[in-house]
Amino acid sequence: MSRTVVSIERSSSTKKGGARPLAVMVSEAAKVIAPLWPISAFIARHPWMGMEDKSFVDAADRLQEAYGLDLYPPMAVFHAALSKGEIDVSFIERRLQRWLDDEPLPAPRHEAERLCRALLWNDAVPEEALQMPKLIELAAAMPLRSVSIRTGSVRLGLEKRLDQQMIKWCKLFYDRGEAVWALPHREHGFYGSWRRLAPLDPSLSKEERKRLFDWPHHPEEALQRALEQLGVQDEEAVAYLEAHLLALPGWAGMMVWQSRRAGDEIGGLINYLAVRLSLEWVFTAPHLPLKEEENGDDRAVGPLLAAWIHWGGMTLDDWRRLSFEDRQARLVFADRFWRIGRRHLWLEAWEDTYEAKLKEAVLTRQPEEPKEQAAAQLLFCIDVRSEPFRRHVEAVGPFETYGCAGFFGLPIQTRVLDGDDAHPSCPAIVAPQHEINETASPEMAAPYRRRRDLFRFVGQTFKKIKQHMLAGLLLPEMSGPWLGLHTIARSAAPAWAGQVIHQAEMSAQQKPKTTLSLDCQGHDETTGLPIGLTKEEQVQYVKQLLVNIGLTSSFAPLVVVCGHESETTNNPYASALDCGACGGAAGAFNARVFAALANLPHVRDGLAREGIVIPDETVFVAAEHITTVDELRWVEVPPLSEAAEAAFRQLKQALGEASRRANAERMAKLPHVGQTPRDPVAEAQRRAVDWSEIRPEWGLARNAAFLIGCRKLTKGKDLNGRVFLHSYDWREDPTGEALAGIIAGPATVGQWINLQYYASTVAPHHYGSGDKTTQTVTGSIGVMQGNGSDLLAGLPWQSVAASDRELFHAPLRLLVIIEAPSYYIEQLLDRNEEFRRKVQNGWLRLASIDPASGAWVNWEAGRLASMQQR
Amino acid sequence: MGNEWFAWGWLAAIAAVFLSAIVWLSPRVSERYVHVHVWLLLLPGAAALSGWIGAGGVDIGPWRFDAVSWLSAVYISLLSWAIQRFSTRYLHGDRRYRLYFSLLTWTSFAASLTWAAGDLRLIAVCWGLPLVGLVALTALKKEWEPAQFVARQMGMLFLASWIAVALTVVWLGVRVGEWTLVSALSAERLARLALWERTVMNGLLMLAAVIPAGQWPFHRWLMESVVTPTPVSAVMHAGLVNAGGLLLWRFSPLFSETWAHVVLFLIAFASILIGTGVSFVHVDYKRQLVGSTMAQMGVMLVQCALGAYGAAVVHLVLHGLFKATLFLQSGSVVSRVGRAGLRKTGSAWPGGIILGVLLGWAFWQAAPHEPARLLSALLLAASATVAWGRLTDFREGRWLGFAVVVALALVSETVRHQFMVLLHNGMPSAFLPPASFEWLVFALFVAAALVAVWIANRRSSMLAIHLYMWLVHLGEPRPAATEAHPRYLASYLKEGMAHE
Repeated sequence: MSRTVVSIERSSSTKKGGARPLAVMVSEAAKVIAPLWPISAFIARHPWMGMEDKSFVDAADRLQEAYGLDLYPPMAVFHAALSKGEIDVSFIERRLQRWLDDEPLPAPRHEAERLCRALLWNDAVPEEALQMPKLIELAAAMPLRSVSIRTGSVRLGLEKRLDQQMIKWCKLFYDRGEAVWALPHREHGFYGSWRRLAPLDPSLSKEERKRLFDWPHHPEEALQRALEQLGVQDEEAVAYLEAHLLALPGWAGMMVWQSRRAGDEIGGLINYLAVRLSLEWVFTAPHLPLKEEENGDDRAVGPLLAAWIHWGGMTLDDWRRLSFEDRQARLVFADRFWRIGRRHLWLEAWEDTYEAKLKEAVLTRQPEEPKEQAAAQLLFCIDVRSEPFRRHVEAVGPFETYGCAGFFGLPIQTRVLDGDDAHPSCPAIVAPQHEINETASPEMAAPYRRRRDLFRFVGQTFKKIKQHMLAGLLLPEMSGPWLGLHTIARSAAPAWAGQVIHQAEMSAQQKPKTTLSLDCQGHDETTGLPIGLTKEEQVQYVKQLLVNIGLTSSFAPLVVVCGHESETTNNPYASALDCGACGGAAGAFNARVFAALANLPHVRDGLAREGIVIPDETVFVAAEHITTVDELRWVEVPPLSEAAEAAFRQLKQALGEASRRANAERMAKLPHVGQTPRDPVAEAQRRAVDWSEIRPEWGLARNAAFLIGCRKLTKGKDLNGRVFLHSYDWREDPTGEALAGIIAGPATVGQWINLQYYASTVAPHHYGSGDKTTQTVTGSIGVMQGNGSDLLAGLPWQSVAASDRELFHAPLRLLVIIEAPSYYIEQLLDRNEEFRRKVQNGWLRLASIDPASGAWVNWEAGRLASMQQR
Repeated sequence: MGNEWFAWGWLAAIAAVFLSAIVWLSPRVSERYVHVHVWLLLLPGAAALSGWIGAGGVDIGPWRFDAVSWLSAVYISLLSWAIQRFSTRYLHGDRRYRLYFSLLTWTSFAASLTWAAGDLRLIAVCWGLPLVGLVALTALKKEWEPAQFVARQMGMLFLASWIAVALTVVWLGVRVGEWTLVSALSAERLARLALWERTVMNGLLMLAAVIPAGQWPFHRWLMESVVTPTPVSAVMHAGLVNAGGLLLWRFSPLFSETWAHVVLFLIAFASILIGTGVSFVHVDYKRQLVGSTMAQMGVMLVQCALGAYGAAVVHLVLHGLFKATLFLQSGSVVSRVGRAGLRKTGSAWPGGIILGVLLGWAFWQAAPHEPARLLSALLLAASATVAWGRLTDFREGRWLGFAVVVALALVSETVRHQFMVLLHNGMPSAFLPPASFEWLVFALFVAAALVAVWIANRRSSMLAIHLYMWLVHLGEPRPAATEAHPRYLASYLKEGMAHE
């Protein structure tokens, strides 16, 4: 890769003509950040969405070099994995050899190989090598220019103040009704309100406020002017803006989300950057123009040189004899390998080791069991937490399970009974096409509302008194005894009190019998989406899913459609544990819609016309998998046929045992205070309701692979809850359309989740959301650390680490495995440019299993390249 | 004679708890021991409760037990138990897991000792011990810069408070020639002090009290204390901030000058306005709670300024339970998708203010002996008005809801009243405020409320915006107390994640 040297200085050269429009530059810079959804519907998204056109290695290199952001885990993490046996040493060597084969080397292979191997295994150059005489002198002669991008505020040490100001304005602006007294002038937009209020801000000095006197009122002008005043050249402006966006990627990401919803993403970012750079100018104005930055020895050349001498088998004389270009090339090579290359090889070796183990598990043939007619078929979400539960359900009776994305292929937004907002209950990459409403008849709804509003009356009174200047002062007297009682009960018997409170909440919200607007009923006023589905759409959605998962014949009398939801208490990240495919919410609604559709007589007729005959005795039932306690809860059970009734009874009976086994498995993985508790079910129940529980469940931690294929491949095999399982039968998909759909939807959701966990693990401070114990919820949209911080985007530290000294999640890139002949995969890669790019650039890994030979085919980036030439 | 055993029993229980906190620090002790330690924390509370019932007032050596000592001992024990029980799971996995328990134990029970001290010198020593514990708790995340910064700031302010107490107490002891609290504060001994001496001492006591209460102009440390883990915040807001009120009560015979009470009232009143304002304009949940604490401590000190020490003590206990719960529950404030929305369905219900005024007037009439009753009546009237106003928010179930709220409030009022009765004899005040003072306080509160209403209706006026920006500024942390990203986690990763 060419090394570009970016300087932020105003160079002596005159301004080049053809300045790019600001909006273009901003949208270019915005690629380094990703939108951030509000925490109430936590969307797993990976932070490098805009960078997939670069290879993973190059993106890592750039972010590391320019902004000091590390995309690889530190060596200590690899060492820990090695000692746990998760990395096979032979893979490291193999990867090294392949890498040396592919990469242009600045030195004879044996020298480069010795150097690289030494760098792979050593954390530092030995002291004696660094103490060599003349080393410093030689190093000084060969400066390596730093390309780190430092904004004016960073260079003057004012970035903390700038960040704090931005945090303040962002949180006040984005507040969703937490403040009694909201930010004035909010209607003028982010920049507009700032521009009006900043001149009155007592946290700015008098001079600073004066500087704002004739500052532009329009964000675009302000940004332009700030760039000029700060001496940022056009060609470096994008990098400069990137640096500013990456300073607080969470708040900037919230800006992207908010303005994208309003339909003007770039406009929002210009507002944000205009405030940020205007403030930067206000703070740095007395120091402008900044002196040309010293471009001397920012990077330690000494250790790199010492490494060549010590490990490359060179003498100082050898070094002196090299030409300037050769010396520079060697230093650049060692530098990049030190920063990026060696850890990339370690990561690949870790991934290879996992792949080898998974391959062994999947390819081991099991003795064919006598095929027994299934009593029930259960559809689960692809979520990795379904895997253990499915395994145990299958083990306790004649039950078959299938995996599909938990929105069941329904691109809907949902509106619950009395709900104010419609929730897009489908993956973030899918735009809702329909709205489904939940309604109840007035006489049914009245008792429910009475019950619900009784509780809410008390809650609302508490809240309003708290927000009243005088009444709030008496609130401790009025509520203290009750809150104290609550605390004492929760402390004395966390499980019992938690259950009681949970039950009370549940019964207060227990809904009456409601109906869903499945049939067409006009349009929603706000979004313009059609409410309900046409008859044809109803048939097609059901058909599509059944074909996708390969369930088109041999229906059992009972088909259970399982959404999923977590059950945790006092957890701002509750939605992070819910269904990502349902837009970060519970999946019960979609399950209910799908089951209802599949039971409609005219849908059955339509399916039969399309060749999918569902027997009359087969009934679809909606249920919900509660992931925290591995329990199945019935959402809606329609009248059952005789056979279905029998199957229902059989399933219900068996589920208790399945839960017990699944929870026993879960408890072995969760950290405990003291020893592992004896009763796994009771412990899981406690974790769900205990308000002090910091790790109620592991969520999707340790996810590593996404398998698209028949359940037969994995049935009865312990995949350790690390694999997303999507059912797929290539024979049912002659056109490859279904596969393309799975890749575009569910697999992408899987990749986002995977990289979300990856990012939160390798850079928990930047891409995670820090320690849960010091978080504060802000403006109801997200969390910050301590007194204030970036709006934290990823998973909390406790979701990826078992303790401050032990990681739980293994940061591996997702391995997608497709059971289909190779020409299917080739066709898929040909047709789906985006997916191909992900594979080729290393944002996920691809393998396939040939159904005929059972061979495991690895579709590595190199192989793809050769395929392209063919 | 027999009564002394209760006191000895309590002291022994405290010693046992401290010992347990030390034993627990040894890595050889199994992690399971934490459960034993936490349940042991109830022992001093049980001992204090039996002492309160069985013995009442006791003096042994430098210790002096009265209703307030016993009450605070029971309260602290219960609160410490609840918070440490919470920490068992909540802090699990933290690098300093064990130290948190030891320091939480130290902080709470050292505070408990302070209110059982009957010797001036002992009080001087004990005053600082929990403050040291709190600073240490804040500094426990030693890799995190903002926490270190805040700990240093707290340390300096608390030291000032400690020095103020030590100075007052030693000065007093030397001048009156007596180290026992009760004797030193007797009228004849206090008469030996010169007027200027009393004045300075009153000032010092006030300084010592307002610092830990986070009152203006010393509110900065409280505003920046959001860096601490939730359980530490709970201890801070339920325990440590209260100390000032008790201190003033202990020294009320000395702290009896009218000017001091007026100044204390003005500081507390300003703090109520600032604290309430901060909690109104800020959007981080924990910062709102901090603002509210500042205001609530203001209320406690206003009650002290009115000589209503009993009311102040009841307020601090109930506020402690209230605020500790809200902190521990602070993870619950994110609403989940798929819940019914809130719709204003009913029509407006007039008469809230009339109801409030009637209720307030009735309370004022019914409780003629209660100190600071005018203020209580005012706040009660406001609460009733707000509750009545909720009838417009709902249609179904609103009357039942209103009835439940009334029932809950009645029970709470009974609890408060019972507390007042319990403390009635234990807390005489040397300062009886003139009625004019009480009316002045009342008038100022009413005026503040009217100004708030006036501003609320003119939010885009220059004055309102100025005020808004000032309140934001007063509640904001300094840049050094924040960090954009918790970088210490990256260093945790780099240092290696090997097993302990």
